[in-house]
Amino acid sequence: MIKIEHLHKTYRSGFLMKPKQALKDVSFSVEPGQVYGFIGPNGAGKSTTIKVLTGLLNYDSGSVLINGVSPRDVKSRTFLGYTPEQPYFYDYLTGRELLKFYGRLVGLEGAELDKRIQWALELLHADKDWIDRRLRSYSKGMMQRVGIAQAILGKPKLLILDEPMSGLDPMGRRDVREAIQQLNRDGITIFYSSHLLSDVESISHRVAMIVDGKIVREGTVDEITESCGVEYHVRTRQAILQTDLPEGVAPAGHPQECVCADDAARDRLLRYCLEKGIAVERMDHKRPSLEDILTEEIARADV
Amino acid sequence: MQTFKHIGVIALNTFRESIRDKILYNIGFLAIALALFSIVLGEWSVFDRSYMIKSVTLSVMSLSGLLISIFVGISLVQKEIKGRTVLTLLSKPISRASFIVGKYLGLLAVVAVHLVLLTCIFYVVLFLTGSDPTLSLLNAVYLIFCEMAIVISVALLFSSFSSTVLSALFTLGVYFAGHLSNQLLEQVRFASRMGEMDGTSTAIFEKAAVVIHAVFPGLYRYNVTNYVVHGLALPDMYMFWNTVYAIGYTGVFLAIASWWFSRRDFL
Repeated sequence: MIKIEHLHKTYRSGFLMKPKQALKDVSFSVEPGQVYGFIGPNGAGKSTTIKVLTGLLNYDSGSVLINGVSPRDVKSRTFLGYTPEQPYFYDYLTGRELLKFYGRLVGLEGAELDKRIQWALELLHADKDWIDRRLRSYSKGMMQRVGIAQAILGKPKLLILDEPMSGLDPMGRRDVREAIQQLNRDGITIFYSSHLLSDVESISHRVAMIVDGKIVREGTVDEITESCGVEYHVRTRQAILQTDLPEGVAPAGHPQECVCADDAARDRLLRYCLEKGIAVERMDHKRPSLEDILTEEIARADV
Repeated sequence: MQTFKHIGVIALNTFRESIRDKILYNIGFLAIALALFSIVLGEWSVFDRSYMIKSVTLSVMSLSGLLISIFVGISLVQKEIKGRTVLTLLSKPISRASFIVGKYLGLLAVVAVHLVLLTCIFYVVLFLTGSDPTLSLLNAVYLIFCEMAIVISVALLFSSFSSTVLSALFTLGVYFAGHLSNQLLEQVRFASRMGEMDGTSTAIFEKAAVVIHAVFPGLYRYNVTNYVVHGLALPDMYMFWNTVYAIGYTGVFLAIASWWFSRRDFL
């Protein structure tokens, strides 16, 4: 659905047109039917990548294809719906008038348009009386719902959302998360950026992590977190002397608990316990979260 | 077909947006007040009352049309960019050229409505004051509309790549150059014939005047107030050729605006 290869983008600003590389050799692909999370710190290049995909930004070099079509071609936008970060709309229109305007731009008319608007509003729990009020009176949550509603009116094959959950209250986040999952079940591929890593972990099939314009990790959440190693916390019925701990096993602060650095250390500890007749009370494995990995990658990029 | 539909949707939205603009109402009310004031001017003036009412009202139409074309025209694209509404709009399957043309037609419709309204008031005033309301006056109104069609395209062209203030200045510059280019050429040629300049200066000034005359749209063609007010006939095919001229210039300006706009990045 999305194929990006060796994408480079440089911004030029100021009187001397000072260059700043926003994207450096970005490559990844999104298969049809996936929910694909795009994460990274502020200014890493998430919105730039999304704007290249939607044809709002030109790029220096590389290849970008949406369903086989370049975003430089208007046709590529017949397949996609897009909600920008903090969407802004014509505030002199009501929410419903705005949806009618965008619906007409994607070729909907009459009863079909009304039906599609109703469907989108129900999906986003936005079928309330405020939808017939002018947009200038809307809260951020209302605006975000209208923003996503306008993007899905044309039932796109690909939905691109830039920070769809930022600034929303927990109920709003839940509604947007559920809407994303429902749309994905209906066959729509979702590509979205987010700062809320817990949400990304819970709903994404795959994730790409971008730091300082470069993709630093890409894969399923499990692949990414496993690649950073798994720790095992083992609790025994009786304390083990620190000097008796096998290689790769360290005390965890509590006398009956120790930490195994990897699978081999875990096996060594379990063998030791069997030999000595020490009962194992509990064993947990702890993976680093996406947040831990992202923090580590940001620190590495800053060095 | 889809392109025309997109243009229509954007034009309609631009029309809606513009008729909610306070500037439009201020200009509109001022124009109506001035048109009505022409009756008083007709009484005070040493000229014929009918002449005063007709020439003042046509000038008011031209000036108010110009103010709308420039001040609403230059803000059309800038508002979309600054308000970031352009992001969602251009992510739809519409070309940037459709966006520009839609914006253009929306504002052109606003100017048309404004001129129709003023024309109605114009004829009512002429009837009430018994000032010979001939149909030939419509020729002058139509040519003002053609002139505004060009001015709006100029305003859109400049606003597609420069700031609001610069766009206003550039558009006003083109407007004045377009009105004065013919006089400039005539004056330079007259001075040359009279031998008031030396050979080198004549050649340079004449070439400069010819270039200005050729590049800037000849907006002086659209001022036929003196013809219609005095009941003089316009040359054959004058309306037709000047319509073609307006369409030609507008097409070129919109094509450049679309090309430039399509190269822009939207952050």
